[in-house]
Amino acid sequence: MTTVDRGLDNLAGHAGHHDEGSYLTPKYGPIATVWNWMTTVDHKKIGVMYLFAVLTMFFLGGVAALALRIELFEPTRIVDGTLTGAAFGNVDGASPASVGNLYNRIMTMHGAVMVFMFIVPAIPASLGNFFLPLMLGAKDVAFPKLNLFSWYVYVFGSLFGIASIAMGGVDTGWTFYTPYSTTTAGQPQVIAMVLAAFILGFSSIFTGLNFIVTTHKLRAPGMGWFDMPLFVWAVYATSIIQVLATPVIGITLLLLVFERVFQIGIFDPGLGGDPVLFQHFFWFYSHPVVYVMILPAMGIISDVITVHSHKKIFGYRAIAFSSLAIAAISFLVWGHHMFTSQGELGAMIFSFLTFFVAIPTAVKVFNWIATLYKGSITFTTPMLYVFAFLFLFSIGGLTGLPLGALSTDLHLHDSYFVVAHFHYVMFGGAVIAMLAGLHHWWPKMFGRMYNENAARVGCLLVFVGFNVTFFTQFFLGTRGMPRRYASYIDEFQLLHQISTIGSMILLAGFLVHLFTFLHSLFMGPKAPQNPWGGLTLEWETETPPIEHNFHHEPVVNHGPYDFDEVVPPGWDPKDYPLPEPAPEGASH
Amino acid sequence: MWTMAGINDFFIRVFFRHHADTPVGGLNGTDGLYLYIWWVSVFFFVLLMAIMVYCMVKYRRRPGKPAPRSPSHHTALEITWTVIPTLLLTVMFFWGFSAYLKIVISPPDAEQIDVTASKWSWAMEYPNGKTTTEFVTMGTNDNAPVFYVPAATPVQLRMTSTDVLHAFWVPDFRYKFDVVPNRYVPFSFTTLPLDHTGADPEVKSFIDKDGTEVFYKDHWLFCAEYCGDQHSEMQAIIRVVDPAYYRQWRDTPSYDETTPPIDVGKLVWSGKGCATCHSVDGSAGTGPTWLNAWGSPHTFTNADPMTQADIDADSLLWDNYIRESILVPGAKIREGFTNQMPSYDGRLTPVEIRGVIAYMRSLSDKNDGQEIQGFDELNSDGAEGEGGP
Repeated sequence: MTTVDRGLDNLAGHAGHHDEGSYLTPKYGPIATVWNWMTTVDHKKIGVMYLFAVLTMFFLGGVAALALRIELFEPTRIVDGTLTGAAFGNVDGASPASVGNLYNRIMTMHGAVMVFMFIVPAIPASLGNFFLPLMLGAKDVAFPKLNLFSWYVYVFGSLFGIASIAMGGVDTGWTFYTPYSTTTAGQPQVIAMVLAAFILGFSSIFTGLNFIVTTHKLRAPGMGWFDMPLFVWAVYATSIIQVLATPVIGITLLLLVFERVFQIGIFDPGLGGDPVLFQHFFWFYSHPVVYVMILPAMGIISDVITVHSHKKIFGYRAIAFSSLAIAAISFLVWGHHMFTSQGELGAMIFSFLTFFVAIPTAVKVFNWIATLYKGSITFTTPMLYVFAFLFLFSIGGLTGLPLGALSTDLHLHDSYFVVAHFHYVMFGGAVIAMLAGLHHWWPKMFGRMYNENAARVGCLLVFVGFNVTFFTQFFLGTRGMPRRYASYIDEFQLLHQISTIGSMILLAGFLVHLFTFLHSLFMGPKAPQNPWGGLTLEWETETPPIEHNFHHEPVVNHGPYDFDEVVPPGWDPKDYPLPEPAPEGASH
Repeated sequence: MWTMAGINDFFIRVFFRHHADTPVGGLNGTDGLYLYIWWVSVFFFVLLMAIMVYCMVKYRRRPGKPAPRSPSHHTALEITWTVIPTLLLTVMFFWGFSAYLKIVISPPDAEQIDVTASKWSWAMEYPNGKTTTEFVTMGTNDNAPVFYVPAATPVQLRMTSTDVLHAFWVPDFRYKFDVVPNRYVPFSFTTLPLDHTGADPEVKSFIDKDGTEVFYKDHWLFCAEYCGDQHSEMQAIIRVVDPAYYRQWRDTPSYDETTPPIDVGKLVWSGKGCATCHSVDGSAGTGPTWLNAWGSPHTFTNADPMTQADIDADSLLWDNYIRESILVPGAKIREGFTNQMPSYDGRLTPVEIRGVIAYMRSLSDKNDGQEIQGFDELNSDGAEGEGGP
């Protein structure tokens, strides 16, 4: 992949961007710089702002999770009801022994913040925003102002959601099941919370639209669809889901409001409605959204694994098409969240379709493992996170099998097994992949390296802590522990205590990462242009990228993963001996 | 025991504590499918991790040495690893579906028992109107009811909810179903016969008042669908007994015309879910305590207060207030509380409502000197012909 001056820039009156500085270089005084960031239409700055925002949400949701784990250390309730009113603006007034209340609100907070405010936008809006245009060789996304607007919508929606949880007392869990959500004391707040999810959904739609158009229209000259990095494919498939699925949560919200304001029976059985109908609406949106969370993660893994083993990805087209297949099938499996509440025919169809989504996922894992074969594997932090991902995501995927099969799911549904499975996929999959991507692209984003050994220690702690926390929960679930319990029978105590200890190890891992990143920002050595030897376009530009991304519009004349043919940009050919040329006619 | 059966037995015990207590949940049904999924998963996980670790060691980067050329695409291999999982998953689907059908299809001539779920308690009513009178401590629930069911006999529970969604889960049976308001949902089961040989350590026994040994096995019942504040207290015990003892137990009424009203009230308090929210010792709960409540003045958020003068003027004022609160819980809401209570209209007989009033009256220092009669006295009267551990 080389850049050629095609002279077109000059013809068009642009003088190229030869003298331009890094996008991070402040050009104004402190106040003007803040103003510059808040009104920027630069996808890189918006990506960094998203990164900061989603990590703040991750911190908030994580604190809530630790509070839950500490409460569950003992079978009885540690925090008694008298704290409830004081600590959390109790709408129930002085009803002092709503002892489940505080736990249930924190549980709702954890779920809603992590799902709607963290993990849905986490990868596409931060790393996607930053790297999608760079990887396509574009100067920005297709609609830069819409991009900034979506960030503000996201921030507004998040603040709105947190306010309605913290001040109102939403205790429904992140799923808002009717009739509980429409008949309990906190119902106006529930409407507020669903409204927040709706606002956040708009942010998703805007980002999705932006990425779809960017991918179609702004690819660099020479870049065909099958020359795109797999991260772009994954974000593209994600965007399609976001644009198509998100409106359904809006419709659901409208129906909830109609029911409440006009007393039309839609979901509330007291008015002649059907509570299970709400579950259909909810999961028609929320199941595809699960793939919004995991597809970009798969994209990161595809890219990171090739760069850090200098090996062409195995089965490029299979991975690209499986992303689209997953996006399509994800719309057809929502009913598997309702095996215990629907008729036999629906259960049969949804179980059958659910197994179909397992196949493209399995194919991706096989491809990643096959990519390692005859590679040149390094043990950098991003690569360690790829290994962690393959380990954890395999467990997450395999434990989905007894949840997809009908009779086994009737036992595991709504138990800790589901909690463990979900976290293995979402944390072991999406969050671990995000950490891989963050460590992979950190030098490019901020122009500084981090302390590799400290980051490796963090990775190890996260890996061990995660497994201790969540592997135990599989056994809690199969042995009979229902989810969303604030207290439990003594038989489950040992496993709960191990799980809580694991969550503390996990916390230690994240603290190590936090300090590594802060240390890197302020004291890290300057990063080279291409520290890992990547071949995709973001490594062609400077580190950190200049404001308009590239000095000249890049032209693509090789695939994104041709590690056996091309010396990585910025590398001395002496440091990168290419293998013997392939014999004539050999295909690979 | 290093046979395959022994190894499978080991894993079943690690996963589920012990084997399923229903034939459909056992090795020919759900547990068998678990083992199939388990071994498929172990095979693929070990295979993938072994290849990964092999590559990590064998193909680690060596300075100055490029990765050799190798194919990045192999059609036959890719078709193989798509087709084999597809076949294995197809087996999984059909196995799960056929086991599921055995679970959901109700057997003919089943003993039908009504289950009512409400925030936050379970109630079972037997065909002759019998309800349980036995309660145990289970986790943080001091008042978990014990429901008797016959062993090795088809039983169909006809479940409904008075308020929000709940779910009826007996882990030892290996399945659960959601309980939905305004609808009956079936839950059918047939347990294995009770083991009398001592081979199953969970089968226990007690000597009933006739001197015969009664075997029983207890199973946890949990609410598995989130239902609010005391979701985690919504638990009960399913006690499997031999059919003969079950019939004897079922046909002994919980109370009859000789039972004092206070005791009827106490049975209602513990058996119909009142105890979940209303304490009788003054401790705080979701609803107001019953201790010293009867006859005391109170203020309401949505109605005129009940003053001492009103109480003195009308001797049935409090009785009427209790009756109204049982049938229309939201009519008068005590200050400091929200209305979380489902209506008991149609769920309590007139005798039971009078019992509740008598019981609350007996708990008050404003009563006219009645004492609470305990269960022990009740048993010695023979009014309740039931033994029990």
